[in-house]
Amino acid sequence: MASIARPALLRQVCNAAPTRRMASTFAGSSLKHPSPLTRRPMQSAFATPGASRVAAFHASGRRPILPPLPQVVDGDVNKPAPIPEPSASHGSYHWTFERLISAGLIPLTIAPFAAGSLNPLMDASLCALIIVHSHIGFQSNIIDYFPEKRIPLIRKGSFWLLRIGTVLLGISMYSFETNDVGITEAIKRIWHA
Amino acid sequence: MSAPRALNLALRRIASPAGLTKFSPAGRLMQQRFAATTTISEKEAVNSILAKQRLNRPVSPHLTIYKPQMTWLMSGLTRITGLIVATSFYVYGLSYLAAPTLGWHLETPSLVAAVAAWPVVVKVTAKLAIAVPFFYHSFNGVRHLVWDFGKGMTNQAVVRGGWVVIALTAASSLWATFLA
Repeated sequence: MASIARPALLRQVCNAAPTRRMASTFAGSSLKHPSPLTRRPMQSAFATPGASRVAAFHASGRRPILPPLPQVVDGDVNKPAPIPEPSASHGSYHWTFERLISAGLIPLTIAPFAAGSLNPLMDASLCALIIVHSHIGFQSNIIDYFPEKRIPLIRKGSFWLLRIGTVLLGISMYSFETNDVGITEAIKRIWHA
Repeated sequence: MSAPRALNLALRRIASPAGLTKFSPAGRLMQQRFAATTTISEKEAVNSILAKQRLNRPVSPHLTIYKPQMTWLMSGLTRITGLIVATSFYVYGLSYLAAPTLGWHLETPSLVAAVAAWPVVVKVTAKLAIAVPFFYHSFNGVRHLVWDFGKGMTNQAVVRGGWVVIALTAASSLWATFLA
């Protein structure tokens, strides 16, 4: 009687009853709401939290590979997107610098394959370019996967870790180039060991 | 209007002080709400609704929903192989710096002696594990540099170039592992 008189209740019966029972992992959860009529009348379909409700919107299964971080409201709904500060060292100059480093690596990489190994100066140049190239690569990954807005502290920490690592690597490679046989000769010897 | 309702209205009009002197239409009384309401500021209301919506927002589906295509797979692999090579380089370099303090021997003659003692299977596996990412990243890096000049941006050219890079990577890695 009640469901015919109140279509809202009828809709709740259709919506909630099967998904609740089928998607719930708890055996006793259907006993929690023995009848839809005992549920709070104002509980609409969209206000119900939980996986069963979200799953109903998707055709494919949920894959929580990267679960969302705690959500915060920053500013207002009408807060405009921030305009980045103009900087001469970012953007196209920076981009060109990265490409020059990459392009400079090409002859220095081919040369040892042709000549067997490199003289100390060329070897040191190759090593320095590889360090800068790797640094840029790690930097791009931090920028892409640790967004400022979501995880600013992890991003900042990663940047500092990378800077420290790169400086230490530079010291290490200086030592390697001066005390040891050089990077190309070392790879060659180990490769033919 | 039903009889009990009309009686109720009439009684109320009599009971209220202004009931007899001032005429109040029945419609106004019918509109009265006997429910408690709370007031919140507009900003608060807007933001709380937004926060609730965000909590219910589904996470966007991951890469697995896309059809595996040469364009995005090879681009992603460039980054992954670059990370493999660069991370190995960093790990070796920092270990080399720490070696004297920790008593390790990572200088070239020690490494050569260590690698020489490995069985052939381990040697081949290690060489392949280094050669494949290195050659793939190098060849596909050149391909990316060509794109940076705006060349070969059609779908056909991208697919063809992709197969060329895969072939070059396979050939170079096999050469470096077994022949060099």
